[in-house]
Amino acid sequence: MSSEVRRIRYSPPWGDASIIGVAGSSGSGKTSLALAIVASLNLPWVVIMSMDSFYKPLNAEQSAIAFRNEYDFDSPEAIDFDILVDRLRDIKQGRVAEIPIYSFEKHNRIEKTTSIYSPHVLILEGIFALHDQRVLDLLDLKIFAEADADLCLSRRLVRDVKERGRDIEGCIKQWFGYVKPNFYKYVSPQREIADVIIPRGIENTVAISMVSGQIQKTLAHKSAQHQEQLQRLGKIAEDAPLSPNAIILPQTNQVKGIHTLLMDPKTSTEEYIFYFDRLVTLLVEKAVDFLPSHPEQVITPAGNVYMGLKTSVGTSAVVILRGGSAFETGLRRTIPDCRTGRILIQTNYRTGEPELHYRALPKNIAEDGLVLLLDPQMSSGGAALMAVRVLVDHGVPEDRIVFVTYLAGPVGVNRVLSVFPEVRVVVARMGDDMEERWVESRYLGC
Amino acid sequence: MTDNTAPSQSVGPEYLPIGRKPTATVSTNLAHDNVTILPQTSQLIALLTMIRDKNTGRADFIFHSNRIIRLLVEEGLNHLPVVEHTITTPVGRTYSGVKFEGKICGVSIMRAGESMEQALRECCRSVRIGKILIQRDEETSKPKLYYDKLPEDIAERWVLLLDPMLATGGSALMAVEVLKSRGVPEDHILFLNLIASPEGAKNFAERFPKVRVVTAFVDMGLDEKNYIVPGLGDFGDRFYTM
Repeated sequence: MSSEVRRIRYSPPWGDASIIGVAGSSGSGKTSLALAIVASLNLPWVVIMSMDSFYKPLNAEQSAIAFRNEYDFDSPEAIDFDILVDRLRDIKQGRVAEIPIYSFEKHNRIEKTTSIYSPHVLILEGIFALHDQRVLDLLDLKIFAEADADLCLSRRLVRDVKERGRDIEGCIKQWFGYVKPNFYKYVSPQREIADVIIPRGIENTVAISMVSGQIQKTLAHKSAQHQEQLQRLGKIAEDAPLSPNAIILPQTNQVKGIHTLLMDPKTSTEEYIFYFDRLVTLLVEKAVDFLPSHPEQVITPAGNVYMGLKTSVGTSAVVILRGGSAFETGLRRTIPDCRTGRILIQTNYRTGEPELHYRALPKNIAEDGLVLLLDPQMSSGGAALMAVRVLVDHGVPEDRIVFVTYLAGPVGVNRVLSVFPEVRVVVARMGDDMEERWVESRYLGC
Repeated sequence: MTDNTAPSQSVGPEYLPIGRKPTATVSTNLAHDNVTILPQTSQLIALLTMIRDKNTGRADFIFHSNRIIRLLVEEGLNHLPVVEHTITTPVGRTYSGVKFEGKICGVSIMRAGESMEQALRECCRSVRIGKILIQRDEETSKPKLYYDKLPEDIAERWVLLLDPMLATGGSALMAVEVLKSRGVPEDHILFLNLIASPEGAKNFAERFPKVRVVTAFVDMGLDEKNYIVPGLGDFGDRFYTM
């Protein structure tokens, strides 16, 4: 059925991340420069990624050489460009990228990884940020940080001794044996392909504000595109009949009675919470009916056989903050030990654009049989669309996602379901489009 | 054991093609208008599978039976009257809603019926709960009323009568007689039941055609000892003492 539905594209603001490369000699102040740019923007969706994470792991023999300070870390050979390009492509396409963590003490990758997800702008910094053609093809802006060689050496000495546990003699040996020759051979030529050359690092406030101005322009453009896209999706949604994947709770006398109490401003907070929890329990019971099950025969205590059903996969939930937290009491009545992730999506009060601020998802969420997305109210569907996209980016199959909400407008629901036709929406009551949020404020009391 | 064969059908969400829905034994249908059987969803069947399984421990038994009972209570409450009630919503719109009308109370048939009180309270916070103790007389093997304590104004209330298992229906029939003797009109009684035998449900529905029976599942039949087949063992024991 779902295959007949025309799938409409939605690209979140991180769907086409801009990547900025910052190259320069070791000790030239690339990291501080990148940090200064990020600090001047002060936005969670601008992220720095260091190429230090992509050093190749060393085998025993190489490692021994490295501990004698005779391994050439300053040659492009030491960098695992294949993995770097792979991860950059993930980020560019808005997927979750697992970034290796390199231990300078062990000269090897540690088992853990850090994940980078949903930056709108990524700053890639490293001596060879502008070296590999495949990387260059992904860059939107190429920066070369320039600094005096004496300054570079002294900075490098301080850093390697203090932060990377090396001794001074070894550092000097490396500088003249590898760093300096490599600079002329590989680092310096990158100047030629840079868009901008920034001398004097963080002291150069003019350059920093120019670059952050450029990034701001990019961000504003992405935001405008995103809003335009949401509007376009809204127009499509307006013309369509309500999707069959929107499941409305049967409006029985009890359900209608509860609606009446919930919507009546005269209902006390205590009563409101009680009846809301009760309705959420019904919603969750409805939603978990989508959990896949298989036939299984059981024996009763009297020795009789019953041909029933068993579920072998779990259900997890993702609460869209802050409203979704009003669903947790009801959720736990049905699934007391439900693994629960949280994402914070805030609507920018100036632009009306939903923004992803925070995410903490259960491990292996993609393997669950069902993932419930909880948010008491869906009006434009912008936040819902973003939340579903976050789950899809984390590998959750669309048909295992059920969006559970108390109140939704038909346009919002259709907007989500036109982009993700296999998702299901379980809703207690269909309301008007663009209804202001009030459900969670009543529940939480503020 | 009766020669009824257990009905089997594909259960699962409507959008799934029959071939992709798992097959399970579902409730027997009854031709009585006053008997409401809960929709046989895959979740309900999975919950029932859980509590029927002899290997299910007490904690899981309690939790999962409570989930079914809550659905029974919600369904039962839907048979209570409401009156129209229009309100203005927090965003200034009008909603033509309804208001619950009439006082209610619960009456549990001891002891198994008491296991249903928690779920009832989860839906109706401060509901009054009366008790009836009916035991089978060893000599006559007929049910005998041992004890009852009911709200004084029970005649003016809607009564949710609670008993999870309906086998021959002896105790439930007697409990209704007790309620009627206290002035509760028959059509103000809702009998909430988890698993019924077809014989018990039929007897009950025919004897009290105005009492509304809400059950999760009508089983295959009764065995020679009048136990429900396949049933789930002794509900009270599994809930309270096993």
